[in-house]
Amino acid sequence: MAIRSFFLFILFFSSSLSPVFSLYEDQVGLMDWHQQYIGKVKQAVFSSQRAGRKRVVVSTEENVIASLDLRHGEIFWRHLLGADDVIDGIDIGLGKYVITLSSGGSILRSWNLPDGQMVWESSLQGPKHSKSFLLVPTNLKFDKDNVLVVFSNGRLHAISCIDGEVLWKKDFEAESFEVQQVIQPPGSDLIYVVGFAASYQFEMYQINAKNGELLKHESASFSSGFSGEVSLVSTETVVALDSTGSILLTISFQDGKISSQQTPISNLVEDSLGPAVIIPSSVSGIFAIKTDAVTVFIRVIGEGKLEVVEKTTHEIAVSDALSISEDQQAFALIQHASSEIHLTVKLAHDWDGNLLKESVKMDRQRGLVHKVFINNYIRTDRSYGFRVLIVMEDHSLLLLQQGEIVWSREDGLASIIDVTTSELPVERNGVSVAKVEHNLFEWLKGHMLKLKGTLMLASPEDMAAIQSMRLKSSEKSKMTRDHNGFRKLLIVLTRAGKLFALHTGDGRIVWSHLLRSLHKSEACQSPIGLNLYQWQVPHHHAMDENPSVLVVSRCGPSSDTPGVLSFVDTYTGKELSSLSLDHAVVQVIPLPYTDSTEQRLHLLINADKHAHLYPKTSEALSIFKREFLNIYWYSVEDQNGIIKGHALKCKCTGEVADEFCFDTRDLWSVVFPSESEKIVATVTRKLNEVVHTQAKVVADQDVMYKYISRNLLFVATVAPKGSGEIGSVTPEESWLVAYLIDTVTGRILHRVTHHGSQGPVHAVFSENWVVYHYFNLRAHRYEMSVIEIYDQSRADNIDVWKLVLGKHNLTSPISLFSRPEVITKSQSYFFTHSLKAIAVTSTAKGITSKQLLLGTIGDQVLALDKRFLDPRRTVNPTQAEKEEGIIPLTDSLPIIPQSYVTHALRVEGLRACTFKDI
Amino acid sequence: MAFSCKNSSKFNGFSSCIKMVMVGTSAIMMQQRTLAMEASLCVKKSKKKGADSVTRPNSQISAAMAAVTPLLLLLLLSSAPSFSSGSRNAYNINGRVKIPQGLGLGTKGYALPGRMSNVKVLLNGGQNITFLRPDGYFSFHNIPAGTHLIEVSAIGYFFSPVRVDVSARNPGKVQAALTENRKGLSELVLEPLREEQYYEIREPFSIMSLLKSPMGLMVGFMLAVAFLMPKLVENMDPEEMRRAQEEMRSQGVPSLSSLLPGGARN
Repeated sequence: MAIRSFFLFILFFSSSLSPVFSLYEDQVGLMDWHQQYIGKVKQAVFSSQRAGRKRVVVSTEENVIASLDLRHGEIFWRHLLGADDVIDGIDIGLGKYVITLSSGGSILRSWNLPDGQMVWESSLQGPKHSKSFLLVPTNLKFDKDNVLVVFSNGRLHAISCIDGEVLWKKDFEAESFEVQQVIQPPGSDLIYVVGFAASYQFEMYQINAKNGELLKHESASFSSGFSGEVSLVSTETVVALDSTGSILLTISFQDGKISSQQTPISNLVEDSLGPAVIIPSSVSGIFAIKTDAVTVFIRVIGEGKLEVVEKTTHEIAVSDALSISEDQQAFALIQHASSEIHLTVKLAHDWDGNLLKESVKMDRQRGLVHKVFINNYIRTDRSYGFRVLIVMEDHSLLLLQQGEIVWSREDGLASIIDVTTSELPVERNGVSVAKVEHNLFEWLKGHMLKLKGTLMLASPEDMAAIQSMRLKSSEKSKMTRDHNGFRKLLIVLTRAGKLFALHTGDGRIVWSHLLRSLHKSEACQSPIGLNLYQWQVPHHHAMDENPSVLVVSRCGPSSDTPGVLSFVDTYTGKELSSLSLDHAVVQVIPLPYTDSTEQRLHLLINADKHAHLYPKTSEALSIFKREFLNIYWYSVEDQNGIIKGHALKCKCTGEVADEFCFDTRDLWSVVFPSESEKIVATVTRKLNEVVHTQAKVVADQDVMYKYISRNLLFVATVAPKGSGEIGSVTPEESWLVAYLIDTVTGRILHRVTHHGSQGPVHAVFSENWVVYHYFNLRAHRYEMSVIEIYDQSRADNIDVWKLVLGKHNLTSPISLFSRPEVITKSQSYFFTHSLKAIAVTSTAKGITSKQLLLGTIGDQVLALDKRFLDPRRTVNPTQAEKEEGIIPLTDSLPIIPQSYVTHALRVEGLRACTFKDI
Repeated sequence: MAFSCKNSSKFNGFSSCIKMVMVGTSAIMMQQRTLAMEASLCVKKSKKKGADSVTRPNSQISAAMAAVTPLLLLLLLSSAPSFSSGSRNAYNINGRVKIPQGLGLGTKGYALPGRMSNVKVLLNGGQNITFLRPDGYFSFHNIPAGTHLIEVSAIGYFFSPVRVDVSARNPGKVQAALTENRKGLSELVLEPLREEQYYEIREPFSIMSLLKSPMGLMVGFMLAVAFLMPKLVENMDPEEMRRAQEEMRSQGVPSLSSLLPGGARN
């Protein structure tokens, strides 16, 4: 359900469901909305163009490169690079090209700044993996051509800015050499490459920037070794920490001679601080070190002498240096103070004088400042003004100027982990419903506009006005529940640990809350949000109780770290309570039982296969005990190729008596032979899905009973060789096996092998059918298959006499332990596109026809009628079958452009689509 | 951009392109011949030197031919085979996406250059993603030998996925086929199969649509009766008219009295 570059796109069917739901172009935005986000900003570069609109180019942790409007924060253009094409550095060259270095320094691209068109792309190879650096020297020219300096994969390249040609390159093949900095002093033709070799040797290479010739190579060894990063304090001096983190080494390599100075931190700061780390920054003459509690700013005064200028215990963020004139550098500093942040802009050589000091009120829900980027402009009175772009803990991006927040972007929404829905409050008396136009003139103007629209005379501005008028008059953005339940709140958990509530009508943020339980703390070092569950959905007390959601998270990346639960009110966004668990959370099973306050019972399975019941009340326990024997679940170990079924056994037999903890037992296990099969996909039905009709009347007046069980599991396995990428195997050595497994008994109900096929497999399970998408190597096309499963044991019930005489078995209890007589029907079709996600529509009563929602590789969402995936399709359907609505069989599934629910828009980085009940 | 000319098939590519330019002046032709030679030489050299330096022989070529660069480069590229060997078992796939200009949608509202910048080329279901250069060329670097699938994502156009075989044995071999209609491609130039229209097209206001509506038809019929029927009578042949009148007279004027039972006796 997590969606990267943001996708929340809920399609509302109007109550009169038409078979084709294509739209006119001017109807876009009436029923749907589309939002674009970029993710947490890693690096920002301000465009220094004098003319035209002011821009800032950013690269983010979601591998997005985007150009934003500096006035409003809108996206001019954005590109999402591939998942493993991580951006290492960005810069602007010649004022009109955005240069990006990505994929561990192996791909260098140049983009046109105004429109985002890629200009050139170069692939850079090198002898070994290393840190990568991208420098865009302003004054280094080579045949009238500006030069980029790139260090990547152990090789230094000089690259033409115009066409991406490599002008020269120089290898650094020494085995243990680790590059730390690449420096190009402005105004010279030299490049310095400094780094460590064998962790105790400092190496300096001086290189001619014109031709890549090695001019000098010096090294000096330091017995104490190095740790962490180095900070550049001038073009010829770096500061590093020794391996214990307690001695500062000031190394200068002026004129190719290495000289160094050692200063213990305890000499500078009286009280001992423990091991420190250097905060990387590029402000000349000043660097900062950080220990657990304190951040210390230290100034370098010639010849390696150090002096402490400030010591602070506040959380602090420093920007890189910005040169404002020939010899002046400025940098920004942000300090937190309760509900405000203090922004100071200082000159690098003058710590005590402030160029700017402002305090800005900051919403506490945004957390701490993580990154600061500074830019200057010249005011009308010819003095310098500064604007600062800050990245907050919740991944939002804000622009501060003149003590105010000019704009903010909620880019946390680019990395959604989980989504759930919540009902809106019931409409109470006294809430005004309709607003009529205020006066006759307004009314007339509105109607004139609408008339212009229908006569196609309206200009784009008029169209926008009409659109907003329609939006205002529509009921969809009201904050109360509607009769059909179309309006809802979407509760969204993001990677930053922030919870958002979005209105389904127009996608606006109703509230947002940075979860305290997902904050870093002593007990919980790196909390990660996992899932959202509906904790309490009041129906009987809907007027006086608010629904709440359960947020499950854990304290670290591995699955055996203790879990954290928090409960959040979905109307107000208040965190009601939170629980730090003493056990891990591997699996969460929402049980279909609620207690008298309509809190849903949840079973949490920990790493030792103990089950813990929540909420921990005696009432919940008594409900649970009644259903004790009816609770089954399964677990998939895809590494070992084992699927296991579990049930509860007894109370925990540990030393601490806990009546909410239960031992479990293994019921069954399916072991796939590891040499021939590897699990690639497992899918079950949605827990809350409603099936309206149990039977299907087929053309010849016959009835087929759907085999509907909540305990069916679809498993797809592929040959281990074929689990890699497409094209890595021949069709002969690759196969795909699809299973339908009953999760209570472990019985395999159906098994089918697709020879010459491979993953990735995307599947969706609904009612009695499963649709899955895979790659057919023989045809070299994607295929989609459908399996429908029908119950044969009830097939005899169609005899009327049996019904009359009461000899039918409709009322006999159905147990999964009795052998089910099932038949399956299946069919396969070609499909053009690769898929990223697949989902199916569902409605509250299950009466609407099903549409498959396919998230294609082109980041669009295509709706495909389930009737195209009906295994009873034949080439020439009979008249009766045609009447039933069976479509003649074709070898491939049609792609009807009008049924793209995303229309002409693109949901960049689509990760999953979800359809919520309405 | 990158291609190698170390085997004969690639060199054929060169000579064919030179033939194409032969229509130009002989001086240019001469230049090109020498350039082609230079290119092949430099590739041979770099082949000895190192594994991956082969990937960018174009740099040397273009550096050598400042005068005719733009035109020639384009021609060289368009006829250059789509593969070149990078390091030992990694290859580059180069190709081109061609969107016909002025085709339906292109003229309607959208700015074409902006759309070109949003075209993505995806290898093996998103394993590698690359973008187009302004002239439509794209390349994937360091691709292992084997069979691959290239997809083009461009809003407004439907592209067929392309099956591409990168052969380890003879790296110059072009093997590409559209998977939708199994059409083989001699070079990796991808063109959309059709355009995609995401919206229903709203009929513009026109007199015809008004006339075609049921109301319009009714009005039209009434007008026809009111104005055209008298005209029909007018245009009748006078002879015919007279004969018809006489016929009517001979039968007698059907008067009300004749219709009445009593009137028949008169």
